[in-house]
Amino acid sequence: MIASIAEDSLTRPDGRLASRGDLTRFLMELTASVQADAYALMAMVHEDERHEVRIIASNWIYDAIELAGRPLLAGLAASHRAAPPGFRPRPIVTAEAPEPDAGIDGEEAKLLAVLGHREIYVLGIQAGRQRLHLLLSANEPGCILQAGLTRAQMEACYALSAVPQLLGPTVANDPLSDRERECLHWVSEGKTTDEVAVILGVSANTVNSYVTHAIQKLGASNRAMAMATAIRSGMI
Amino acid sequence: MTSLPEPEQDSKPWRRSPFGSVAAGAEGAPTITLQDAVRRCRWIAVDLAADGFSLLYAGSGLDSARLAPCFDADYPAISAATRRLADGAREELARHAARSSVPRWWTSDPQCHTAITLAGIVHVEATAPQTPGRSALAFPVHADRGQCGVVVFFGDAMQVTPDDLYDFHGRCYALFEAVARIRPDSNLPMLTRREQECLKLTANGCTSEDIARLLKLSVHTTNQYLANTTQKLNAVNRMHAVAKALRLGIID
Repeated sequence: MIASIAEDSLTRPDGRLASRGDLTRFLMELTASVQADAYALMAMVHEDERHEVRIIASNWIYDAIELAGRPLLAGLAASHRAAPPGFRPRPIVTAEAPEPDAGIDGEEAKLLAVLGHREIYVLGIQAGRQRLHLLLSANEPGCILQAGLTRAQMEACYALSAVPQLLGPTVANDPLSDRERECLHWVSEGKTTDEVAVILGVSANTVNSYVTHAIQKLGASNRAMAMATAIRSGMI
Repeated sequence: MTSLPEPEQDSKPWRRSPFGSVAAGAEGAPTITLQDAVRRCRWIAVDLAADGFSLLYAGSGLDSARLAPCFDADYPAISAATRRLADGAREELARHAARSSVPRWWTSDPQCHTAITLAGIVHVEATAPQTPGRSALAFPVHADRGQCGVVVFFGDAMQVTPDDLYDFHGRCYALFEAVARIRPDSNLPMLTRREQECLKLTANGCTSEDIARLLKLSVHTTNQYLANTTQKLNAVNRMHAVAKALRLGIID
């Protein structure tokens, strides 16, 4: 049965998605192909050392995501049950008390069970460098076709690679201009202001002014912090 | 709402092992060596009926168009195929891997077995030949810390079905995740706890004076620790040391 699904590919004839509608249709078909009921596609956002998620698309019932709360979803995505591509997915069963590696506690599991997510798989999706998480859930534990999950996961990786514009910013709020980024990059390579000035062919004052702007934009207190912030968030 | 579980604090006994099963293990212990990784990659190549392979690393940030060979079929040497690839096609391939996970393939002989099988698969992109005289299939791969790379298999007799493709790509992902976790331990100097603390605080915007106050050290001692880290990391100055430590995952 799995083979027949795979031959009849879920994406467009050319394997590409184009619009928001395509994305929704693709995710619905993907969910149905593994006999799951619900999907939620989300991206992790790191803000002030807290973990948050940004929901890109989901068919959870109205308000369910607000009710469950984004921290709960972030907990699921960061749990050890989350399977990046190449790792065997293991379910989180919320009908019973969650195991310690499920990323949620008893109360949260109960809430999810009440909302109709009694069995949840968390798949890591890689669209280029961007890492997303796809939650596939079912009302009845044991419903989801485990054997089809690898295919679903890789198809999602391929299909979502084609629609970066629908996935939101790659780097959350990258405020830096190209020149500022360039300056910080060279600083992170150990170059002094004078050396950066020579490399970029501008004056040392100009370099300092770029770096100062970058420090301000990143809310940092000095060069080292601005550079570290930029590295941590993948800007340089 | 109950408090958020800390994903980074790893008190849980379960750890993902790189090859799909779940194993109990020590925090941060390197799971495999480079030789293991080469062996794993050879197995994938055998299953694909490929006659060569190479794993290349893409740089980060502004260097993202640089693709450096990590190992290939001639390990510990670097084969001619890898060198040709690294010369000719690296920029385009690195750029592709940064924005897309779709496998790419190319051939200079449209009649060969590889070409015939791959032409029938929807999810792979055909590109212009990058390695003269050889067909190849390139899987973009990405790891947890944002590292990016490409696993390339060479050969004119490769065979793969659409369903296998997902498995092969998944195995490449698992392999790369494991390779990315290999600490360059022999080359990587061990920083002491104090040195790590000083470096981390510097990255958080603290001056030497701040660090001295926080850690109850003298400013001279703090500067000495930071000088040590700079030397151990083979960096040219303090900023370079902080950047290197962040990129190597010594501090986060």
